[in-house]
Amino acid sequence: MTTLSPETAGNAGSVAGSPVMTLRGVEKHFPIKEGALQRVVGQVRAVDSVSFDIRRGETLGLVGESGCGKTTLGRCVSGLTEPTAGGIYFRLSDEDRTTLDGVLAVAEEDRSPEQKQLLTRIDHGHRLDLLDASARRIYRRNCQVVFQDAFSSLNPRHLVKDIVGRPLRVYKEASGSDLTERVVSLLESVGMGRQHLYRYPHQFSGGQRQRISIARALALDPDFIVLDEPTSALDVSVQAQILNLLHDLQQQRGLTYLFISHDLGVVRLMSDRIAVMYLGRLVEHGTAEELFETPRHPYTQALLAANPDLSADPDVEMKGLEGTVPDPANPPQGCRFHTRCPVAVALCGWEVDDAVSWLSESATFPDTLTDVERRSDFDATLVFADEASARSVAATLSGPAVPTAMAAALETVSVEDRKVVIRFTSVDEVALEDLGLGHLTSCILYTVRK
Amino acid sequence: MTAPAASPPTRSTAPLVISVKDLQVHFKVKTGVVHAVDGVSFDVRDGETLGLVGETGCGKTVTARSFLRLVKTPPGIYAGGRIDFWSGDARRSGAGPVDLLRVPDREMLAIRGDRIAMIFQDPAKALNPSMSIGDQVAEVLYQHRSDDLVDDQPEHVPRMLRRASRQLTTGPERLALRLPPWRKRASRLRRRGDELVAAALAETQIANPRKIMDRYPHELSGGMKQRVMIAQALACNPDLLIADEPTTALDVTVQARILELIADLQRRHGTSVLYISHDLSLVRQMCDRVAVMYAGRIVETGNTRTVFSDPLHPYTRGLMAAVPSASQKRGELLAIEGNVPELIDPPASCRFHTRCGFAVALCEQADPELLEIRHGHGVACLAYASAGKLGVPNAALPLVDGSTR
Repeated sequence: MTTLSPETAGNAGSVAGSPVMTLRGVEKHFPIKEGALQRVVGQVRAVDSVSFDIRRGETLGLVGESGCGKTTLGRCVSGLTEPTAGGIYFRLSDEDRTTLDGVLAVAEEDRSPEQKQLLTRIDHGHRLDLLDASARRIYRRNCQVVFQDAFSSLNPRHLVKDIVGRPLRVYKEASGSDLTERVVSLLESVGMGRQHLYRYPHQFSGGQRQRISIARALALDPDFIVLDEPTSALDVSVQAQILNLLHDLQQQRGLTYLFISHDLGVVRLMSDRIAVMYLGRLVEHGTAEELFETPRHPYTQALLAANPDLSADPDVEMKGLEGTVPDPANPPQGCRFHTRCPVAVALCGWEVDDAVSWLSESATFPDTLTDVERRSDFDATLVFADEASARSVAATLSGPAVPTAMAAALETVSVEDRKVVIRFTSVDEVALEDLGLGHLTSCILYTVRK
Repeated sequence: MTAPAASPPTRSTAPLVISVKDLQVHFKVKTGVVHAVDGVSFDVRDGETLGLVGETGCGKTVTARSFLRLVKTPPGIYAGGRIDFWSGDARRSGAGPVDLLRVPDREMLAIRGDRIAMIFQDPAKALNPSMSIGDQVAEVLYQHRSDDLVDDQPEHVPRMLRRASRQLTTGPERLALRLPPWRKRASRLRRRGDELVAAALAETQIANPRKIMDRYPHELSGGMKQRVMIAQALACNPDLLIADEPTTALDVTVQARILELIADLQRRHGTSVLYISHDLSLVRQMCDRVAVMYAGRIVETGNTRTVFSDPLHPYTRGLMAAVPSASQKRGELLAIEGNVPELIDPPASCRFHTRCGFAVALCEQADPELLEIRHGHGVACLAYASAGKLGVPNAALPLVDGSTR
């Protein structure tokens, strides 16, 4: 668990306003089911202990590669799925937030009865999954979503008037000619007009469809909008229109945004603070300026180095990353990024799976591996069909070809006839560290330096 | 205004590989004829990378597909123009070009995949999910490199084996190849095939090509699949590689690696590349020259450095200003207002005038030609045209900041 101390939790940057959404240790695991009985055989850990605040009037950018859990997190925050653990709190006062952090910092079994009582009070007043019906209604109308693909998120058989007017009808805000007028003013606020009322979504271009989505999200005058890759399906010239529109609306209506995107340029432009995700976890969190000027986590640095930038020097080559994103059902130990990290060291969490996958990548690896007996993630016995291959694998593992960081973490390699015992230094998960000024990062390099 | 950066002299004098002249590809729809590509002309020279950049629906992909005659007819119509192609052999022997729009189908088969290869946008869709990676890469070898497959066979190569190397064997022949005395030679053929496939995969820096060959596309990551596509495309060492948005479906960190790989392979093989993308920053990184397309036309073309440091056409300027960058303030992105116009039976006017900030009345009446303003830097905008030729007074022309008149 990444528990943040109450002082550092989520106050990266000093944007005014109390938190609209507060996330504490949010987890979303999806079960992997197999067989006729649909037995649960594992968990895909899409989001793993994520904590941050989204404050009134600010834009929080959420970046990461595909499959890192940013959309799942967005869905959790907007109430479209329930997290499997942790809490998402709506409109928590600053005072309550401090209390909450204080209570959560104490392990569950050590909490005093008063603390438990405080927690119950806060949970029932603010936590999304425990809200009562009327509070839930308030939350629902104040939290809206704009999805990536405006074509599939607009009903093709409904007229624009019905699509944009739907929230108003559901909440019995308007009807008849009043409704039409409200819809027209909403359309006008996104740069469209009365002439578009009686058309279907397919009659519009991508940019206009996204405008309709935004108008629908604005219908109930919400506080908070989750923007899930709102411009990634659009061309740059239209993207610029939509980004400008979103900014203007934020200024006029004092909106709070959670801006999810994989495009670093867009996120930098739109966000006050940025959270970088990798494989379900936050790896860095700070103000947009800080994060782009002095990225700390190697993953953030890699993302920036790989990001094509029109304003950068054309002779600077983009640099990519080795390897692929590991399987989120079985995420790496320690720092989740260590398998691809260019500056990894021995303490980054090297484990048995790393050794096995590294071995199977090499051309000389014999096909005679029959079993891996694990005692822990860091300690296992590889069983081979014959003695010769066991010996050759042991020789490879203690040879010079092994990556230096992995070799340094490897404590024992020993051969007993057909078996090779390997043991790595065991390491805990890396927690987010505060580097000052609310710049948080989860990298062992900064922990050690402290 | 800076002088155009000195272009490498070897580039402009290198022999032509492709010369597109006034290419027109139209599509017939219920309401009329869509002029998807409407009078496009450009050259690709030996060993250079030309970037074709533009927004969705501007005709970049149709242009590229018509090189290989992959546009479905009907509804497509090759309405005019020509695509002259000089293969490596033709250049060496001094033979003339072939017009890709008019070569017989049989010749086209020999060019497609062998002399001109293409990398498609979405590797997940372009690979066959029911064939192993090894078999898919081998297909192109069986099609074009059947002689290489039998070159290590001892003595005379019998006809049946040759037929086997082209995958033309009939049922009884296949049976005969499984039995002695043919069995050995047939398995030797297969081994040779596997060797060539492994070599092609190793070119793209895939670790352990032999293991990958037995896998199926769904078992590979997106970056891996794209590498397999590149291996397939480069297996025959083509003269021209068409890369149609090769990294759009990939993450940035993987994208950088794939682009590095394409650039590296190009350097080593001297292949010419037509690189298609909507991403200006990638085009700037990858290409020697760039052609900007808008609504079926090329609006600006030139040396990458010149075009990016000193864009002339209002559309190119708009496109560059619309990309978010570090120096821009929130809410102050310079968007190009409006949308790409309908291309159904377009009038003779500048295609961009509906969205152009500099447009004047003349822009609706006259159709600008692509004019070379300076050495190798062409632009299709009336602001740079000569008033005398159009027969209008100077004052009728639009004035774009910095247009020299």
